[in-house]
Amino acid sequence: MRSSLSSRVIIAIILIATAVLTILPIVWLIVTAFLQSRAIVAPGIDISFALQNFQSVFDPSADYGRQVLNSLLIVVLGTALCVVVAALAGYSLSQLNWSPRGVLIVLAGLGLLQVVPPMTLVPGIFVLLNTLHLNNTLGALILLDAVFNLPFAVIMAKFYFDSIPVELRESAAIDGASDFGAFRRIMLPLAMPGISAITIFTAIQVWNEFLFGLVFTTGGTSAPLTVGIATLIQPQQIQYGPMAAVGVVTAVPIIVLGIVANRQIVAGLTRGAVKG
Amino acid sequence: MTSRLGVETPPRVSTPRRRHQGGGAFKYLAVLPLIVLILGLIAFPLGAMIWMAFGQVRIVAGQFDYTPIGFGNFERIPADTTFITSLVNSAVFIIATVVITVVLGTILALLTDRMVRGQQLFQNVLILPAIIAPVVISIIWLLLLSPQFGLINKVLSALHLPIQTLLGQKAGAMAAIIGVDVWHWTPIVFLFVYTALRGIDSSIIEAASVDGASAFQTARSVILPLLVPAIAGAAAIRVVMGVKVFDEMYLLTFGGPGDATTVISIYLRSVIFDRFDYGYGAALSLTVLLIMLVVVLLGLGARGLTRRFRSA
Repeated sequence: MRSSLSSRVIIAIILIATAVLTILPIVWLIVTAFLQSRAIVAPGIDISFALQNFQSVFDPSADYGRQVLNSLLIVVLGTALCVVVAALAGYSLSQLNWSPRGVLIVLAGLGLLQVVPPMTLVPGIFVLLNTLHLNNTLGALILLDAVFNLPFAVIMAKFYFDSIPVELRESAAIDGASDFGAFRRIMLPLAMPGISAITIFTAIQVWNEFLFGLVFTTGGTSAPLTVGIATLIQPQQIQYGPMAAVGVVTAVPIIVLGIVANRQIVAGLTRGAVKG
Repeated sequence: MTSRLGVETPPRVSTPRRRHQGGGAFKYLAVLPLIVLILGLIAFPLGAMIWMAFGQVRIVAGQFDYTPIGFGNFERIPADTTFITSLVNSAVFIIATVVITVVLGTILALLTDRMVRGQQLFQNVLILPAIIAPVVISIIWLLLLSPQFGLINKVLSALHLPIQTLLGQKAGAMAAIIGVDVWHWTPIVFLFVYTALRGIDSSIIEAASVDGASAFQTARSVILPLLVPAIAGAAAIRVVMGVKVFDEMYLLTFGGPGDATTVISIYLRSVIFDRFDYGYGAALSLTVLLIMLVVVLLGLGARGLTRRFRSA
């Protein structure tokens, strides 16, 4: 659609202002992380750079190094579990002759689960973890993060497999491939763009997860990084510098991923969710 | 869409052949892990929650000590003013954030679509708040809003203007978390609507402008109606996100001042982990889930009604 020059200029100004309002707070986080603590508490705007915040964060006596490791472990194992289970289930639901009514019931059930606020399930999960002696373990967080991302991942996987013609699986079967063989060697590679979108999206969700880490660990060396940040925000005494530094450590990998894997993330954010 | 249409016709011919081919054990084995995990980690906790809701539950020496008390927990709910407050706070938060993010996101999508270039860059920038951890979003806004050390007050005092103390005031704190949520999640509405907008056949829009419609008229009476499904979908997702919201309040306002920003999840956490009142926490959780079920059913009913109304 064509529009006049003046209206185009106005639109450009609005969008640029929006972009600046979006970026500026993130930039200030990064700037603060590199400020001296004197500069942070100074009444005016004082820009004196130092690395002391990062030094205190990565001091061997601090828990953050361990928490980064915990978060990475949870992301790798939790995402892997979620994606493998979702790919298998999505493939079966999409390609293996389920009745339309059955598929609809499963998808509707999964959709409904996404509506459940995790906090309402916390008392029951607490009982479960106690029974299994999994309280305060990384294993519990890996399981929970995988399961709570499953509904979305399965729905997305199902729709990605829908776009692959059934004939491909059939000809593989004729060529003597087993059901699992056809899935692994033919269908999965074809669905890879979709699977990678699901993987990236799930990994971001798991890395960002806070609630389960907060209530099912005792903090310290058993907690993920997001929970580590929370310990720096005590109501009466906020340690702004280290807080900003840990914030940067948490956010920068995701920002980099956002730039590198932009397309998959947009697909993840928009595609499956409409149907869920 | 086209690909799925393309797939659907041929298999109909081959249905008899497929029946004995794709129905093997693998079909069921492949969904088994999903079923086991969902049953174990969601259905079991749901059942445990219902069981706890009807009892007095304490932890004695690491073991649960359960005394059935019938509806005792539920009878406490009407007198629990903090719970009622948390429901009201959640409702205020959800209505405000859904309306504002949907309106802003839609406007931004419509404006972006009118740009000649730079759309991709704009989208890449706007995606950032939606993927950064909510915990970090809380930090970012604490660094801006903090009364003593926040950037906003540093700028205000440098300009000799009165400083803001939003986080210390009841209405201010609610306004602040609504503002943070709008900053955080307008991008997701934008992405939804913008993706749908780019899927609209451009000839429809061209036809409207050939017919002499102004840009505003085209947007209002041609484009917007086509975007209704995407906007409704985005709104529904935003409502669900609003019910679940926890991290920002926990870190930015801790539910305060007083209970001004105590939303449902914040209150549930304090009942369970500060007061160790597991049975009552379960009863409240069950109540929240039932309220949500009613809302979902009403929403589906309303959708069915409008559809019938339209087709009639």
